[in-house]
Amino acid sequence: MSAIRDFIGLVGDGVKANQTLWLLVFGFALFPIFTHFADLPFWNDVAMRIMLLGMAAMGLNLVLGYGGMVSFGHAAFIGIGAYCVGISQFYGISNGWAHLGFSIVPCGLAGLVIGYLALRTSGIYFIMITLAFAQMLFFLFVSLEAYGGDDGMSIDRGEFGFIDLYDPLRLYFLIWCALALVSLALMFIVRSRFGVTLRAIKSNESRIEAMGLSPLRFKMVGYVISAVICGIAGTLFASWQEYVSPDIMHWTRSGELMIIIILGGLATLAGPLLGAIVFLLLEESLPMLLGAVAPAYAENWMIIFGPLLIMVVLFGRGGLTGIIDRLSGTRGNADHKAGPR
Amino acid sequence: MSRAVLELQGLNKSFGALHATRDLSFCVNAGEIHALIGPNGAGKTTLIQQIYGALKPDTGHVLLNGKDITSLPVPGRVRAGIGRSFQISNVLMDFTVLENGIIAEQARLGQSFRFLRPAFDDPDLIVGARKILARVGLDDRADQRVGDLAHGERRMLELALALATAPQLLLLDEPMAGAGPEESQRMSQIIETLRGKLAILLIEHDMDAVFRLADRITVLVEGAVIASGTADEISNSAAVQTAYLGSE
Repeated sequence: MSAIRDFIGLVGDGVKANQTLWLLVFGFALFPIFTHFADLPFWNDVAMRIMLLGMAAMGLNLVLGYGGMVSFGHAAFIGIGAYCVGISQFYGISNGWAHLGFSIVPCGLAGLVIGYLALRTSGIYFIMITLAFAQMLFFLFVSLEAYGGDDGMSIDRGEFGFIDLYDPLRLYFLIWCALALVSLALMFIVRSRFGVTLRAIKSNESRIEAMGLSPLRFKMVGYVISAVICGIAGTLFASWQEYVSPDIMHWTRSGELMIIIILGGLATLAGPLLGAIVFLLLEESLPMLLGAVAPAYAENWMIIFGPLLIMVVLFGRGGLTGIIDRLSGTRGNADHKAGPR
Repeated sequence: MSRAVLELQGLNKSFGALHATRDLSFCVNAGEIHALIGPNGAGKTTLIQQIYGALKPDTGHVLLNGKDITSLPVPGRVRAGIGRSFQISNVLMDFTVLENGIIAEQARLGQSFRFLRPAFDDPDLIVGARKILARVGLDDRADQRVGDLAHGERRMLELALALATAPQLLLLDEPMAGAGPEESQRMSQIIETLRGKLAILLIEHDMDAVFRLADRITVLVEGAVIASGTADEISNSAAVQTAYLGSE
């Protein structure tokens, strides 16, 4: 009993220290009520995409923001997760829990192998090696004709027992639960002894060695955790779009995840989710807005999008969460962040 | 003769044509402050790096308490009992003084692979961290960000972090470098309090400090030991005079 009470106390402390994150997560839980009464079911779909990309970005942020490892290949883990659904269905396995299990193990293993090889380098070499591995996997799936090759394969949503994913609300809340669990896990990890050590390695690797710890082991574990989180996002992504193709792991998606993190705020828990919300809302609404003002240019919405991103990065130090912290006069989001305060 | 904590046997290290360490052997005894001096480019830092494990010698052995540690990497040597401060302060700049202590404390305990409890709120770690800081008189600066500390305080913090692992051998690479007279004095006092408790290998350019602190001095020139002995023996040695002051 006391262990449970203890755990609830820890959760409470964590939630208090990360209010922006949990406001967003619970906002997503209430969002379907809004879309129901406003009769905008399409926006549920947008919200699911935001949650999925936000979840993947949160996973990447563990290594990119907290660990200082600029991985430019995390789309590969989303892709592996997604293909695990496609390939298991190809062989007649339709159970969604099995899909999740089948994606966690390969993603963890892929993270272990890629991490083991890539983490021997640093800086620009690390960026290039992670990109190279992601491109290798991309072209591997392009060449696998049995699994649709370039065209990909359409799939059925996984069967989660009583949770029928063809009911859009149940799919929505399955994704929401995954988001909430990932948020909870990361909230513990970044404040824990492991997370603190990971952040210290980002700050000064040689001092960590001088304390008798081997930085590589911590970075590897962080890398594997982040790969698994991206894999879970990928598994659900495949079920959500009922289709998987190499496109899901195109290198531009790795870049998208990095932009989402930097936009929202590096090494903050709320940042990637906030970044995903703003990024995807702009992506949805800018073409419409531009179409209304200057229809001829509607396709060129990136002309506005690009400079907007640059403005946030240049003038909003710490991204959107940094701006929120400054406006509210606290440093709530950066509380567990190593870096300029 | 007291027991040797560190024993170097015939170390050689070359970088291309530069023979930075030449057939070098000497001992650091338990509890002594042993200074390593020599003109710039004598190979002092190269030698420290080989003792610390950041560089591998081409030939020769490094023994700690009689155990060969030549093939151990840095973290292994630290766990075996070597602590180090660097020429340029090497601390966790993005954290507070207390957080530095907490990270050192959890590393000391071997408990850094835990994923649940927030480390910086852990009362046990905070108690341990304060003990680490108190050793150098920094416990009243606990909530300062390290980036805001004065240079001398950063050096103190680094010394505290190096002592946190309870080393048997402490490598101090120019602890007085860049420090003002008061800071140097303070550092000397703290090193003095460590005398007899652990072996210290001290590299320092401040000769007053060296002759005041060192029990024994080894003089390095062009990668080789030219003299080793007490402060008096060294200051009277003709070979040292020639190497340091140049021949007339």
